[in-house]
Amino acid sequence: MKLFGKSNLLFLLPPFILTIALVGYGVIMAISESIHKNEQLTFQYYVDVFANDIFIASLNYSLSIAFVSTFFSIFIGLLITRWLYRCWKNDFLKIVYWIPMLFPHFVWGYMMVLLFSQTGWFSSLVYNIGIIHKPNEFPVIINDSHGIGIIITYVLKETPFVILMLLPAYHQLNHQLSSVVRTLGGKEWDVFKTVEWPWIMPILFETSIIVFSFILSAYEVPYLLGTTYPKMISLLVYEWFFEGDWSNRPKAFAAMLSVTMFIFSIMMAYTSLLIKKRYHMMKGNGKV
Amino acid sequence: MKQLFALLLSIFIFLSACSTKELSSASEAKLLDKKWGQIEQEAKNTKVRIFMWGGDEGINHYMDEWVAPKLKKQYGITLERIPMDTHEFLQKLLNEKKAEKEKGTIDIIWINGENFKNAKENDLLFGPITNKLPNFQKYIDAHSLNIQYDFGTAVDGLEAPWGKVQFVFLYDANKISQPPRTFAELKHWIKEHPGKFTYPEPTDFTGNAFLRHLLYESVGGSEKLLERGYDPQFVKNKAEKMWTYLNEIKPYLWHRGETYPNSLTELDRLYSQGEVWMTMGYNEARAESLIKNGIFPKSTRSFVFESGSIGNTHFLAIPFNSPNKAGAMVTINFLLSPKAQLEKFRPTYWGEGMSLDPSKLSEQDQQALNEINRGKSVLPTDILKKHLLPEVDPRYVGWLKENWLHEIVRKK
Repeated sequence: MKLFGKSNLLFLLPPFILTIALVGYGVIMAISESIHKNEQLTFQYYVDVFANDIFIASLNYSLSIAFVSTFFSIFIGLLITRWLYRCWKNDFLKIVYWIPMLFPHFVWGYMMVLLFSQTGWFSSLVYNIGIIHKPNEFPVIINDSHGIGIIITYVLKETPFVILMLLPAYHQLNHQLSSVVRTLGGKEWDVFKTVEWPWIMPILFETSIIVFSFILSAYEVPYLLGTTYPKMISLLVYEWFFEGDWSNRPKAFAAMLSVTMFIFSIMMAYTSLLIKKRYHMMKGNGKV
Repeated sequence: MKQLFALLLSIFIFLSACSTKELSSASEAKLLDKKWGQIEQEAKNTKVRIFMWGGDEGINHYMDEWVAPKLKKQYGITLERIPMDTHEFLQKLLNEKKAEKEKGTIDIIWINGENFKNAKENDLLFGPITNKLPNFQKYIDAHSLNIQYDFGTAVDGLEAPWGKVQFVFLYDANKISQPPRTFAELKHWIKEHPGKFTYPEPTDFTGNAFLRHLLYESVGGSEKLLERGYDPQFVKNKAEKMWTYLNEIKPYLWHRGETYPNSLTELDRLYSQGEVWMTMGYNEARAESLIKNGIFPKSTRSFVFESGSIGNTHFLAIPFNSPNKAGAMVTINFLLSPKAQLEKFRPTYWGEGMSLDPSKLSEQDQQALNEINRGKSVLPTDILKKHLLPEVDPRYVGWLKENWLHEIVRKK
């Protein structure tokens, strides 16, 4: 354990203590607020939260949006990466997939409003061409109850991130193995299944968890593009926390901590299941 | 190891030094016993930080371009305006209260309604201050109900009235020749023009006010609610009419009522793009600056229902841990002066109603007041006054938020 050598420790100490003092204090306060009622220990707020059907609806809605967006981001990202790593030498392509990453989520969300709302850019375009006769015939993509606008935004925004994570893995891939599969008569699918999949799977899972937990707890895109009911979880919790009646605050803490715990348990499960496997695979590939 | 211990110790000392209390409350209690002249002396050449909602350019320009230079010239006070949402700086104050931080960073806050109730109940405010302010004594009708009570909460001198606003609907006169005069006519209009009307969710201040008008009508007048105070059982039985009305118009609203704008800003955007034909808002004159900036069409006009429109007073207060309470009091007193209030009334910047009693003004100021042209989109003062309705208990705001979700949104 070189990390805890005497000289290194001193360098690490200030950031370590700051993190513990600031973040740790915040988390501890949140936990304490969520389990105390009139200075007595209680889990009532957690019970209240999970008995609240508005919260349950919001949780289902958020989970499904996060799941669908993650799935499509990963899938499209994977397709693009496979195509991209062969054309890596072309620097122009690198710039193209970097562009969406340069804009903050809020800007991206607002752009969606400008492009896809019923008086937006696309609506006026098809109206002027004569495909629709009234602006409100344009399909409802923004503020729709299925969260289509939110999903599109996240897929557009997270796909480049997936590419960013996957591209290095594809570059380290042992391409001779792919040739072996091909010479043995394997199709493209066989190459993917036997060579690429085992190599990229851990990264793919890691990326999925990052993207999933990010979308599950994000605020600004659902605020711009979401619907009145159900709301995504962070919007609901924000409302509970900041609305005029402060008695809902412990409930807000309880709800947010539940989400945190959920993400944390996925991470733990991933770590215990896959880290070992990944290590073996790296060894198997001869690249310790 | 010794080195490590020393480092740890020094960090802890540093951290604990951050929360050392500065016991100055005793000297501040004396501030309220001082003569006004002494307070003004104490305020000279200090800095005053005002935390206020910064979402309106007209208001911001009024503070930065008119108030700040005048204060500097007259009292040597440097005014720093910090835009922040009310619930956020209240949270900041509450945190500071919990941490027993006796010296904060906020000198004045702009506040009313539920936020005032929360602040008062959690002892976040300094005062009573209003009986110390010369301009309050001189120009404000301290006996009127909307000065004594803020949304049903007794003010007790903890906040000074800054302005009065009244709820109006805004519409585009090029598209609507005859605006509806009652809720029944509005329903009729909505059905004839599907998709052209909506209102913000009741979590939004304006959306909630829209529903309160309907609630007044449903229970048979605001007096009934004022008499009883907060009585959920009474309202529950009487509100049936209101829910029926809202459910009836729902399929004809923007996006067929499947979703609602989450803020007034969102509704304004829909209105400015012509997606809906009406918007609304607390502040009878708020369309003027939006028309001037080209956001709203020039043909924007306003109307109120025959059944009345809710009026609202908003206030200025000093936090319990303001580092410059004398400066804050002098600044508030300045903002309540006829000069500052008349300038606020002019459509140049803000165009908002005065908190002063016009009859207490000097003849010269009264004349100036009568000469101000508030603009085409603003209704005449006598019409507004005739239709003025009071606010009721703030707990109805929460009641509406909760029940609206059950009665309207979740019913398919």
